[in-house]
Amino acid sequence: MTSTDVDAPLIERVKQGDVKAFEMLVVKYQRRIERLIGRMVRDVDLVPDIAQETFIRAYRAIPQFRGDSAFYTWLYRIAVNTAKKALVDLKRDPLVTESARAARDDDDETSRVENELTDGETPEAVLASKEIAAAVNAAIEALSEDLRQAITLREIEGLSYEEIAEAMNCPIGTVRSRIFRAREAIALRLRPLLDTREGERW
Amino acid sequence: MSQRSENKLSSSVDEDLSSLMDGELNAGDVGKACARWREDPDARGSWHLYQLIGDVLRSEDLASPLQRDQAFLSALQRRLEKEPVVLAPSPAVAHERSPRRTWTGAAAVAAGFAAVAGVLVVTQMSGSSPDPQTYASAPSVDRLSSPVQAVNLQAASGIEASAVNAQVIVPNGQLIRDVRLDEYLAAHKKFGGSSALGSPSGFLRNAAVTDDNSR
Repeated sequence: MTSTDVDAPLIERVKQGDVKAFEMLVVKYQRRIERLIGRMVRDVDLVPDIAQETFIRAYRAIPQFRGDSAFYTWLYRIAVNTAKKALVDLKRDPLVTESARAARDDDDETSRVENELTDGETPEAVLASKEIAAAVNAAIEALSEDLRQAITLREIEGLSYEEIAEAMNCPIGTVRSRIFRAREAIALRLRPLLDTREGERW
Repeated sequence: MSQRSENKLSSSVDEDLSSLMDGELNAGDVGKACARWREDPDARGSWHLYQLIGDVLRSEDLASPLQRDQAFLSALQRRLEKEPVVLAPSPAVAHERSPRRTWTGAAAVAAGFAAVAGVLVVTQMSGSSPDPQTYASAPSVDRLSSPVQAVNLQAASGIEASAVNAQVIVPNGQLIRDVRLDEYLAAHKKFGGSSALGSPSGFLRNAAVTDDNSR
């Protein structure tokens, strides 16, 4: 449990041929990677594609991942390089995407805004995101002090269970249970929010 | 999601997933938690929610609609299906290598011998190359008579078929390498660039640039 990288157990499984363990890591990091790429690439249509390419490259290269840095640090570098390469390719061949072409042909403000409002950024998606954020915040407010402290120390301060146990002066098993109960309490508020929409299942 | 509350098991499973995402799950339980993630949609839902919660706690702009995250994973899954399964060399798991891969290595080696033997036999028969040195340097196809090409084609397509079956070839020409195959090729480098081995020698050369992705 002294492992410096919290992802080490999953990475180990990926290296042994467990593709699904890699998918678990994708679910963990896809939002952060997409945001990172979104800051580098203006064309929002390209962001998911570049993020996909990032994860594929990471999957292929994972046998070479030695754990010298955290997995996310390594993934971050791959994302930056993939985005840079996509930008270079785009300069070389500006007709790569429909929206890139549209933006070039018709550069007035309204059409540009329309182009940016693609799947990820539709008003519905923006609203859904705000609802999720509001639900998480409301759920955190409603937590008991012990649970809120435990999840905050873990997710925001990034402390290990051992460190949280020390800070909260309780056994590690209690930390484990408090963090889980905090997550479940917040998830309880999010599930109806997510289930009402098309009822898709993982 | 009403069945969640009926399933008492899901609680302990979710607690394991919660510990796993923090890197705090006992090594012995990791496999079990991953199996639940594979098999149980509720476990996948919880895993996603716990990760999303962590992201939103750190930064509200990471709040992402469920469909978006799901669509992303589905699209990636379709691409991952076409990827060869990663098997990093590791002493601890070396004996766990799947029989299929073991067979591939052996088949590739056997087919390699078949190709070389074919060249030697037919070359000798046709008598087109009396210098014994030529055998070792694997003469190119255009210098040989047509029966040789026929033999080569057969042997080469044998290699290709076995490799495709085991999914070690991907469209971009990358290859997850078998250590023993590498050893074999290193020991027989003189045949590596030979067109007598047909298309396999092409993909083996491509395999040398796997580092490209880590840049």
